[in-house]
Amino acid sequence: MILTGMQQILTRDPVMPESATTLGRLEEVVSTPEEFDRVVSQALPILLDRATGYTKRFLRETGQWTDDIAHEKFILRWGAEYLEQFLVCGRSEVPCRPLFLLDSLVAKQHSRPEPFCYHPDLLTPLGRFLDGLLARAAISRDALVALYRHCYGLGPGEVIAATGLNGSESQRIYKNLSRWRDSGWQRTMDEVGISEVELKDLLGQQQRSRQRFNSEAERIIRFAQAHYRKSEPEHYPCLSRRQWEEMFSQGYSCDYRIWHLALCLDCMQTAWGLGNNGTPTVEKPEVQLHVHP
Amino acid sequence: MEQKHNLSDYRTRLLNALKVGARRSASDASDPIQVFINDRRVGQLNGGGTETRFQLINLAHIDSVYFRSEDGVMLGGLSAPEYGHRSCRIPLSGDMIELRVQNNSQGGSVNAIFIPAPGLWHRAWQTLTSVVPAIVRRPPSVIIPGMRAVAFTQVLLAITVIGLASDRMTGWLTPERAALPVTPKEAPWAAPLSDVAKLEQQLVDLTRMQRKVMETIQTQQQGMTQIQQTMTKLSSTQETVVSSVLTVKQEMEQRRKGSGRDMDRVKRLLMTKAQTEQEQLEAEIHSLIIANDRLSKEMATLEQNNLDLKKKLKSAEIDVSTSTVSDPEKSMVARQAEAAQPTQSSQAVEAKPGLARLSPTTFLVSDDFD
Repeated sequence: MILTGMQQILTRDPVMPESATTLGRLEEVVSTPEEFDRVVSQALPILLDRATGYTKRFLRETGQWTDDIAHEKFILRWGAEYLEQFLVCGRSEVPCRPLFLLDSLVAKQHSRPEPFCYHPDLLTPLGRFLDGLLARAAISRDALVALYRHCYGLGPGEVIAATGLNGSESQRIYKNLSRWRDSGWQRTMDEVGISEVELKDLLGQQQRSRQRFNSEAERIIRFAQAHYRKSEPEHYPCLSRRQWEEMFSQGYSCDYRIWHLALCLDCMQTAWGLGNNGTPTVEKPEVQLHVHP
Repeated sequence: MEQKHNLSDYRTRLLNALKVGARRSASDASDPIQVFINDRRVGQLNGGGTETRFQLINLAHIDSVYFRSEDGVMLGGLSAPEYGHRSCRIPLSGDMIELRVQNNSQGGSVNAIFIPAPGLWHRAWQTLTSVVPAIVRRPPSVIIPGMRAVAFTQVLLAITVIGLASDRMTGWLTPERAALPVTPKEAPWAAPLSDVAKLEQQLVDLTRMQRKVMETIQTQQQGMTQIQQTMTKLSSTQETVVSSVLTVKQEMEQRRKGSGRDMDRVKRLLMTKAQTEQEQLEAEIHSLIIANDRLSKEMATLEQNNLDLKKKLKSAEIDVSTSTVSDPEKSMVARQAEAAQPTQSSQAVEAKPGLARLSPTTFLVSDDFD
């Protein structure tokens, strides 16, 4: 039987009195941003465990929890996300009691209809890989541009052609992909919790049955894209071919094209070829998953 | 076991990433910064070496504003207030973002300014301008003694050097020929010995003077240090005095205001009391006037009644006199009755005011007694 993450964390820490002191300090009022930084920096493990515990409780109460390593990693990942936001916004909330401020932030997130993208299929190694990529694409332009590479195998020139970019915007694509290859991809794998063994396993699956692997990837991508497209402004809806054609021909809304086409499989196929003056040189893109950048 | 180890490693990596924070970003200063409002990407704040602005008006309430680098690392942000404004400064490796968020009933607004790090020359100029005012602020009377001491020392040293040089030159130009106890043939080394001794003496004198000069310089340096310390103390004392003066002025102002407020309060109390008493007096006067009117009316009524009764009496007398002429006996009785009547009537008339004074209840009681 696998021990739960919380039990491991509690049994790991031998210095209970120090933890009690730190916990008590977190319950007291801090008055300045510097004091807030000092107090919380000494208590990051406690705060991470607390946020993780609340996420686990949310999944339990919504009937979505299972005692396995994938769920443990899931709640750790989202606990860290909440804690990152807390470390930033807590400085502007002083005077406050840090511990209860964290509680309120997590509770507010969990009060939303969809605080995070959760689905049992997203907890498989392939699901966690794709969920990690798409979650990162929602907050990182490097990861967003890299989606064209990971999902369709497009290089930087093909990305520029597909999105109809020119000038400085096209130069930026090269920089985004370069930085993603250098550090972004590995950092994403680390922060999502994908191990080398799991990556090798994915590559093995792909080699054994490429078509089934890619169709499964497409199914998961469509599900996750629908969730993460909410990170776009509300005025970024799906468009018809004619509307995309007008946007490409007029040359406006570069950001709209880059963000939406990377996060919408259907629009990517609808708008395919418009970047080459309406004359597609290659077939419409299909999901051909590339694990490595 | 391997899975527990894997989970533990993952937790450690997450904690390390949180500790490193924004420093783990691989973006450089020229890359744009992504702006997220309520977890939605709304635009970007251009970086680089120039000051840039980002402004946005949101029709919906703003909960949070975050800045992220192009590789997704959280750089900073804040949680917006329910109503009102909040601002903060986010340092970014020498650069700075000034952020202001405001919420009202119509929605919210975000105003962000990217301030690049100042260049090397700008930093040097800032350092110089921060030092110069400190020197300028120091009173010139402090500077002058120090400069005088240094100048004096330098002059002394120059005089010494010039003196030695001139002495040497005169020695060269006019070499002294001392009387030698022996002839030059016999003691060719005697003259050089005297010169050597002289030179030695001069060297000793020079060394002594140099030592004195060094001591003087050290003394002057110590004096300068003491002067600087004294000036520092004086500056701090002056600042303390100025702040005390300000504090005293503020306290006096507060007391004046307070005493003014007290005076006003007393005045208001007295005026209120006077007004109250005046109102009471007016009310009493009014009631007295009303009572007086009532009594006047009663008096008038009584007088009218009195007149009516007199008229009735006269008419009754006339009746009696007419009846006396027709029947003398009856007239005798009538006279007697008439004699009694006036008294009775007078008594009745006299009694009437008393009746007017007495209540009906009292009159009935006195009649019964009769």
